[in-house]
Amino acid sequence: MDFIEKIGRLDRRIIFLTVALAVILPLFFPLGLPIEVTPPVQQLYDVIEGLSEGSVVMMSIDYDPSGAPELQPATLSILRHCFRRDLKVLMLGLWAPGVPLGVQALDEVGVGEFNREYGVDFVNFGYKPGGAVTLVNLGRDIHDVCRQDIYGTSVEELPMMDDVKAANDIGLVLSMSMGVPGSDQWIWYYHARYQGNLATAQTAIGAPRYYQYLQTGQLVGLVGGMKGSAEYERLVDHMGLATTGMDSQSVAHLLIIGFVILGNIVYWAEKRRKA
Amino acid sequence: MRLQIPLAIILIMGLFTIVTSFVPAKPIADLNQTFRNWYIGIITFFIFLGTFNLVRVNGERIKTKARDWQYSIILIAALGVMLFAGFFKGRASLDEGSPFMYLYFNVQFPLEATMYSLLAFFVTSASFRAFRARNTQALVLLLAAVLIMLGRVPVGTSIWKGFPDVTEWIMSYPNAAAKRGIRLGIDLGLISMALRMILGIERSYMQ
Amino acid sequence: MLMTTGPWVWVAGLLTLAIYSFLYKDNPVYKMAEYIFVGLSAGYWAAFLWWNYAYPNLFEPLAQGNYWNIIPIAMGLMMFTQLSRRTSWMVRFPLTFVLGVSLGLQIVAAVEGDMVPQLAGTFSPFTRGAMFNTYDFWTSVGYIVLLVGVLTTITYFFFSKEHKGILGVSSKIGIYFLMVAFGASFGYTIMARISLLFGRLHFLLSDWMHVLK
Repeated sequence: MDFIEKIGRLDRRIIFLTVALAVILPLFFPLGLPIEVTPPVQQLYDVIEGLSEGSVVMMSIDYDPSGAPELQPATLSILRHCFRRDLKVLMLGLWAPGVPLGVQALDEVGVGEFNREYGVDFVNFGYKPGGAVTLVNLGRDIHDVCRQDIYGTSVEELPMMDDVKAANDIGLVLSMSMGVPGSDQWIWYYHARYQGNLATAQTAIGAPRYYQYLQTGQLVGLVGGMKGSAEYERLVDHMGLATTGMDSQSVAHLLIIGFVILGNIVYWAEKRRKA
Repeated sequence: MRLQIPLAIILIMGLFTIVTSFVPAKPIADLNQTFRNWYIGIITFFIFLGTFNLVRVNGERIKTKARDWQYSIILIAALGVMLFAGFFKGRASLDEGSPFMYLYFNVQFPLEATMYSLLAFFVTSASFRAFRARNTQALVLLLAAVLIMLGRVPVGTSIWKGFPDVTEWIMSYPNAAAKRGIRLGIDLGLISMALRMILGIERSYMQ
Repeated sequence: MLMTTGPWVWVAGLLTLAIYSFLYKDNPVYKMAEYIFVGLSAGYWAAFLWWNYAYPNLFEPLAQGNYWNIIPIAMGLMMFTQLSRRTSWMVRFPLTFVLGVSLGLQIVAAVEGDMVPQLAGTFSPFTRGAMFNTYDFWTSVGYIVLLVGVLTTITYFFFSKEHKGILGVSSKIGIYFLMVAFGASFGYTIMARISLLFGRLHFLLSDWMHVLK
């Protein structure tokens, strides 16, 4: 068996091991490469900068634990930006398994870092089933969909909600999304009817599909994957897990590109031999 | 009757929803809102039914000692524990720091996140074994993938300053164009399928 | 201290390893973790659905005198008739109601939320002059590429006529656009998977093993 053949039959467990090392080693030996901000992320940042004080940002947690490494850092950074700008945050979610992640983020940033008051500066209505159909109702009558918050308090008893009744009371809608129901439904069912600013943070798997909506203005911003999250961390000048992850991401990408090239060399060498 | 009434329901509800979609007049818009609330209510029972079925199927497996039936005991036990944790203190069962949340953050969360992270290994292995430039089209796909992988990480910028801009351009134009083309095709398909169902031409879902 | 002493972190750490044991080969420990996950998730959804929606929006209003809510509850309960062969036809009532509402909305949304704005976005750079006002060469080229790409990709999916002549050329160009888009998606998919792996490995090394700060 010659070298090419040996490589062609590489045990997949060796490949697995190299991937793990590519992710782990940069954690111990960080490269600290600079992170450039891309236009779609900058666009969202500028929209939030442009909102007047006291505006309401509706943040929909449409992800679950498997989307957390990519989207939780974005949720934290955007919340930081919102509270820093004295905006109010209305949180809800189309995915039940994301609700505790939203609660955790509001606790960490809203209460922990900015000392904001629940019910006055931010509220959380938790999981809303029904996907697209719920969004149609939501834009028309928020109080009808969000009758009680996650603690069982009636919407009428939450001071922040006094002036927040329908879509036109919302300054920006953010769908932190990793699938269906998620940003698609927000675009087609909510934004198409009620207009206003809509932006999305996506896991990297979903992100490429949303550039078409940026071009039409249906979206005013797009944070894609852990890289997008790292960019937002840089914009609000608060480095977190996404920034830490970028070095691992860099090394792993180089490794995978290496594997693609190696695989093709083997393929062409074998093809030539057969010819 | 068992067929005609359901066909009438889907026809009436479908057409009513489409026609009145643009009617802002309060009584009609309110009626639509109510229908949509009923929809959400019914959907809720779909999920409860799913939970019920999960118990039924796994219970059956334990009863008949089907292959790997022991795992079904674990599944039902886990479900029982989570249901107990979720209801034993009323709504407060879901508060921060509750047993329910401990189970979520320390059992459900790591299991789900880890399961999906396994794919990192398989996608790498697949890149090595299957990602071959067999013809020009495959080569274009491969080059686009490599370019984007470099353009979306900091190390790419260190190699060549232009990578992020090139990547952004590819994402914004050729990528968006193809995704838009695909999406428009899907839209047409969805609309024709929806119309066929509303008009009762397509009724296989009733079996 | 090197390893954490928190019992819950240990649970999370060991479960993470249980799933990774699949990389070596399928085994009972992995299977057990898998079934625990399915059971817990089902319980989780039921609890959240009840406390965040069914109770406040359906049952509590009913108890307070909103008797209209009997209708969705009754129709919802009808879903359970499918458990018996004799009554399973009754499922058709809630099913057709739900489908009627959602399909109706879907048709409107596909036209109003997707097709119209997306087509408009493809042509508007030319009609509204954005194409000539950008003063940026690559943006202008981008608009042309966008238009050509959308049209050729659509022709690739147009199966009612044989792909010959102009249609043939156009659909061939369309394939190349599709390949670029698939390549982009592939690159992003790699990025997503590595992020998830990073998330878990970071947890193992920092929260559990305490070897990272």
